Amino acid sequence: MNDMLLNIFQDGFFAAIAAVGFASISHPPRNAYAWCAVIAAVGHAVRYVLTTLLAVHIIAASTLAAFTIGLLAVYAAPRAKCPAETCLFPALLPMIPGMYAYRTVEGLLLCLYHSEEAAFMHNIYMLAYNGFTCAFIVLGMVLGATIPIYLFKKISFRATR
Amino acid sequence: MNICRDGMEHETASPTIEEIGKFFADYAACLLGCGATCIRIEKNIGRMAETLGVEADMTILPSHILMTVNSKDGLATWSTNHRMHHTGIDYCINTKLSRLSWAMADGKIGFREAVAEAKRIVGEQPAPEWVVLLLASAANTSFCRLFGGDGESMLLVFLATMVGYRLKQVMLAAKVDVRVVFLCSAFCSSVISAGGHLFGWGSTPEVALGTSVLYLIPGIVYINSVSDMLDGHYVCAYSRFMNAAMLTACLSLGLCAGILLLGLSL
Repeated sequence: MNDMLLNIFQDGFFAAIAAVGFASISHPPRNAYAWCAVIAAVGHAVRYVLTTLLAVHIIAASTLAAFTIGLLAVYAAPRAKCPAETCLFPALLPMIPGMYAYRTVEGLLLCLYHSEEAAFMHNIYMLAYNGFTCAFIVLGMVLGATIPIYLFKKISFRATR
Repeated sequence: MNICRDGMEHETASPTIEEIGKFFADYAACLLGCGATCIRIEKNIGRMAETLGVEADMTILPSHILMTVNSKDGLATWSTNHRMHHTGIDYCINTKLSRLSWAMADGKIGFREAVAEAKRIVGEQPAPEWVVLLLASAANTSFCRLFGGDGESMLLVFLATMVGYRLKQVMLAAKVDVRVVFLCSAFCSSVISAGGHLFGWGSTPEVALGTSVLYLIPGIVYINSVSDMLDGHYVCAYSRFMNAAMLTACLSLGLCAGILLLGLSL
């Protein structure tokens, strides 16, 4: 149980660092950094719990976690006095399925390396499996995170008032 | 505008329809350039137009803003086509310009003050490059850890990101085409992180190689694209998606070139 809690904490901690770092590339206001870190940590930890403890599929888990991130960003926006996207988008970046994207490119390269039918078909399978999973995770994440902004338009677009 | 004896500036003459049109087009072009979603641009312009007693209609194109401003009585009109400001994604500008629109709507500042303030906001210097470099490298290292990378892989990813991101900063400052920049940075990062494969460092070399180029993924552009699509701005959504897909293809090419050059057996 303690190990599980430690894993969840570690997952949230590294997601928070990743969110702050990726946020810095898009120059948010200084007071938004802390919110980005907290929101990313909670969102990533939610996905970790869903996939590891509850065995939810990664696409559904990413969508639900992104929805949580979207709700938190709408809550944070008026408090940080910045648009909801400022807290939302950088907090979402640590959930990008990087290894699926890498394995898609790897599958493509291996298709070019191997001309035997069995190996080629296996690599085509790897390319399609990783590519589709990656694309649907990203789509689910973005839809899940953006819906709260449209659900709570009044809060989202009055945050900078 | 007059300067009175008390030294304070007071707006006397109302702005002309031409002045308003030019300001709105410039304002929208700045927001578009700094990565604001179409719905935010429309809402910000809409509230300022209502305050100034005019009607503003605009078309948001991939790199242009078509703006038409009409007076409420329909006697005066002004149309202009303004090119997008290429500031790069900048949420500080986005936030401050959004606050400016509310300040104007709430009557805290006048039109001419808003014009001057918008110019000042766009001219502000972003965070120092070395700070962003360190934070981005730390972020990618954390990314490597999240994907199950060990200590050696994290160290390699930190180095690879630092070199690749610095190259990106230098090449962008030298006005090199952004697609070439992405290709070169991804190539450079992948070659450095391939050290894990080549020299047998650590037990997760594939994680190091895979995550070393992830700082280049244009995630915010992809998210903006879906947001525009949900709002019905299909042209802008498609344009942003294609722009992000092109950059992703360039970074994949750079990664592939690095793998092929070093002859890695995957």
